[in-house]
Amino acid sequence: MKFYKPTSIPDLFRISEEIEGKKYFLAGGTDINVQIKNGIIKDEPVIFINHLNELKGIKESEDIILIGTLTTYKEIIESDLLRKVLPFFQNSLKSFASPILQTMATIGGNIANGSPTADVTPLLLVLDAKLKLFSKSRIREVKLSEFFTGYKEFILKANEIIGAILIPKNAETGFDTFFEKVGSRKSLTIAKLEIAGLKRLKNNKIEEIKIAAGALNEYPRRLHKLEEFLTGKDIDRIDFSQVEEILNREITPISDLRSDKEYRLQVSFNLIQSFILN
Amino acid sequence: MKINFTINGNHICLDIDPMRRLIDVIRNDLGFTGTKEGCGEGECGACTILLDGKPVTSCILNVIHADGKEILTAEGIAQKPIGKLLIDCFDETNAVQCGFCFPGFLVVSYYYLISDGEPSLKKIKSALSGNICRCTGYKKIFESVMLACERKPRMNTNEHE
Ligand SMILES: Cc1cc2nc3c(=O)[nH]c(=O)nc-3n(C[C@H](O)[C@H](O)[C@H](O)COP(=O)(O)OP(=O)(O)OC[C@H]3O[C@@H](n4cnc5c(N)ncnc54)[C@H](O)[C@@H]3O)c2cc1C
Ligand code: FES
Ligand code: FES
Repeated sequence: MKFYKPTSIPDLFRISEEIEGKKYFLAGGTDINVQIKNGIIKDEPVIFINHLNELKGIKESEDIILIGTLTTYKEIIESDLLRKVLPFFQNSLKSFASPILQTMATIGGNIANGSPTADVTPLLLVLDAKLKLFSKSRIREVKLSEFFTGYKEFILKANEIIGAILIPKNAETGFDTFFEKVGSRKSLTIAKLEIAGLKRLKNNKIEEIKIAAGALNEYPRRLHKLEEFLTGKDIDRIDFSQVEEILNREITPISDLRSDKEYRLQVSFNLIQSFILN
Repeated sequence: MKINFTINGNHICLDIDPMRRLIDVIRNDLGFTGTKEGCGEGECGACTILLDGKPVTSCILNVIHADGKEILTAEGIAQKPIGKLLIDCFDETNAVQCGFCFPGFLVVSYYYLISDGEPSLKKIKSALSGNICRCTGYKKIFESVMLACERKPRMNTNEHE
């Protein structure tokens, strides 16, 4: 396989534009190397990016936290800044794989790999995160909720990379938070399903609620119909049979080697119910 | 492509395919066969090494990931006082049967001892959660690391690397 090591970000785009067809950007390598082993990646060209320091690190501006695409989960979990500003986000990621994998895996690689089970995506969706996409001549910001278009498909153009993840600083302030990853064991497990949620009550009524589901559709997404139904409701008077009905229309779980459809429907309903009531 | 790193204190410069798996280079090209391959997919921890002081699974890294860095394998750790302490504790506790998983456990336990070292079962379990043993089971392994944590403060060395 052809291999390139750019000396800078402009060099990266120069190289990338010269390569026609499919190519991979090698960050932590934890997905790419498993895909090479399993013959999913054959001899497509690889551009190494993991050494580009401009794409690493966590920064704050007045109202935004910016996480460089190459930031590892270990750096996220240990960040003092995130502990202060986005503690729910930080704590939820402690269940990612294992401490070893957390050292290697990058946040941008997790999103760009596009798996419907990516741990971080449902969390970022309820936090209304955006992605900063870099290409040769422009930088654009897109909402994460508009990034995915299908199973492992997204709006990233051929010579465009994820540069950073942007999260509003007040994204979790004042909300009750919820994150549950269901897997078959505690460590090193790929999710059977994931639910992330934020809710704010006033006088027992749901003033605002955000729910995102992972591994329950072709790509992780917010459950807008359910959110709409729940907004304004008194939590003691919610008709949960209706919740279940809406949920069943909004998620399309499949049966695969990790779990089956019925289990995923039942457990996601149970989780959402406990999120709403607790 | 030219790639430089140090491994167990030795400076190495290789002209090599940068996409080669790091584990293959460590074992086959450099002869440090203490690093084992179990699953080859990042799941079992048998191939764990320290890269710039942090534990990583070398079966899902490419040799380019080590460029300019420092590698410590089980062989290097076995020469260090805390490595020796850990080996003694694993021995006393009878925590090793076939031994295939042991180099990986040695590396992550060593990292735990130098980065934290609190004799807390909960923390030890979490630190070792990326490693699988198919023979002994985990109870004795946790006991060994616990024992090493308890003995470490009594050591005369001031070892931090
Ligand atoms: C044992 C094991 C356990 C795992 N456990 C979990 C888990 O618990 N939860 C979970 O969500 N995932 C898990 N994963 C999957 C994987 O570790 C993550 O998806 C990881 O975050 C990928 O990041 P990376 O840097 O290693 O990506 P790489 O393998 O380097 O790249 C992955 C993909 O993203 C593309 N890419 C990388 N960076 C960019 C960029 N900046 N712009 C555009 N494209 C880019 C690459 O071309 C490639 O297609 C696990 C993997 C293994 C091997
Ligand atoms: S051989 Fe590398 S983790 Fe199993
Ligand atoms: S002793 Fe055999 S796998 Fe652990």
